[in-house]
Amino acid sequence: MDLDLVWEAIPLIWKGASTTASLTAYALAIGTLGALILALMRLSPVKPLRWFAAGFGWLFRGIPLLILLFFAFFALPDLNLGFVDGILLDPFPAAVVALSVWTAAYQAEVIRSGIIAVDLGQSEASEALGMTKAHYMRRIIIPQGIRIMIPPYTSNAMTLLKQTSLATLVTVPEMTLLTQRLFSNDFQFRERITALALLYLAMTTVFVIVQQLTERTFQLKV
Amino acid sequence: MSEWDWAVVGRSWNLLMEGTRLTLGLFAAALVLATILGLILALMRLSPIAPLRWLSAGYVWAFRGIPVFVTLLFAFFVARDLPGLGWLTPVQAGMLGLGVDAAAYKAEIIRAGLLSVDPGQHEASEALGMTKAHYMRRIIIPQSIRVIVPTYMSNSILLLKATSVAVGIGLVELTGITRQLSNSTFRTVELFTAAAAIYLVLTTLLVVPQEYLERRFALKT
Repeated sequence: MDLDLVWEAIPLIWKGASTTASLTAYALAIGTLGALILALMRLSPVKPLRWFAAGFGWLFRGIPLLILLFFAFFALPDLNLGFVDGILLDPFPAAVVALSVWTAAYQAEVIRSGIIAVDLGQSEASEALGMTKAHYMRRIIIPQGIRIMIPPYTSNAMTLLKQTSLATLVTVPEMTLLTQRLFSNDFQFRERITALALLYLAMTTVFVIVQQLTERTFQLKV
Repeated sequence: MSEWDWAVVGRSWNLLMEGTRLTLGLFAAALVLATILGLILALMRLSPIAPLRWLSAGYVWAFRGIPVFVTLLFAFFVARDLPGLGWLTPVQAGMLGLGVDAAAYKAEIIRAGLLSVDPGQHEASEALGMTKAHYMRRIIIPQSIRVIVPTYMSNSILLLKATSVAVGIGLVELTGITRQLSNSTFRTVELFTAAAAIYLVLTTLLVVPQEYLERRFALKT
């Protein structure tokens, strides 16, 4: 192992880090919003909403992310539904769409179980105090549920960060693709891939530290 | 493309099934490797010998922090240069990469299961004069399985889906064959929908052994 080749590769691969980070950030933002809507639908008294949310979760958690990515990039342009004649997306937005759908499906379960975990007495007490459902969900239930949601939510987010590496296969120039370009020029596989692994490890380790700090912030003060 | 042509799925069926077979082969081999390696790592993590604990913790930290795709790239491009691994075929490299990656997760699941067994069970076994190897095998591990099964199985479903990443090192499993077929026929929507349906059937079917195992290991009260 030639360590000089590893160090030399790090700044070159780091150029893709902003793409990796923005894929993660976009997908996390859109996916979390979708997940919140899905979780509330799943808990709604309206049956078709519950079915839709449950079906969405079953479907998109049962299919590999890579199939979603390929579908968004290769199949959406050919998807003719009569009223739209296919949607042609650039690699980056296609990857954001697939990663967001995937995030929504997984984080919906996290949010739902966080909401369910809040004692039923809290909802009853809020109703007894004359609060509307929208009001007490926002002010009473969700703030308490967040403490329960943080660990699984951040570990899903970390998985998302790692999964953005698959966007390479739909030609998004993030860290993994830049690495592949490097080693297909000079065949220094070991050194280049090691540099890539080190960068991912650094990013995911930062994630874990942030997770621990957030958990501490939301800890019950007793 | 204006007209649907779902017949393309029928025409490609044999190739899709060939891809599915490789997907299942990758899954099975990686699962066996991950389970054995995961058990060893979990026992190392709980060992009284500090270097073994560090090694296990380091392994888990590294492979949970690196994308499975990157681990597969290592297995494909680098592992063959390691002493004694020159014989690895691409498919075997895929199995190795997926298994080594999944072992980190299995180790954590098995460790949590082993820790969930009441310490009184260890003490009672020792009081009865059993050796550690003996009571781990006969007393602790059997009781921990009940706790391990649900998370182990849902993690295995993730592994089944992760086998699709092997297309990134050129393996022609279900995702790979679908990609090739859609390249040659331009029937992207039909073929990716078919592949998605096959994956859905496989992941939904994996719930069946999960329920069986949960019943099998449930406490009879």
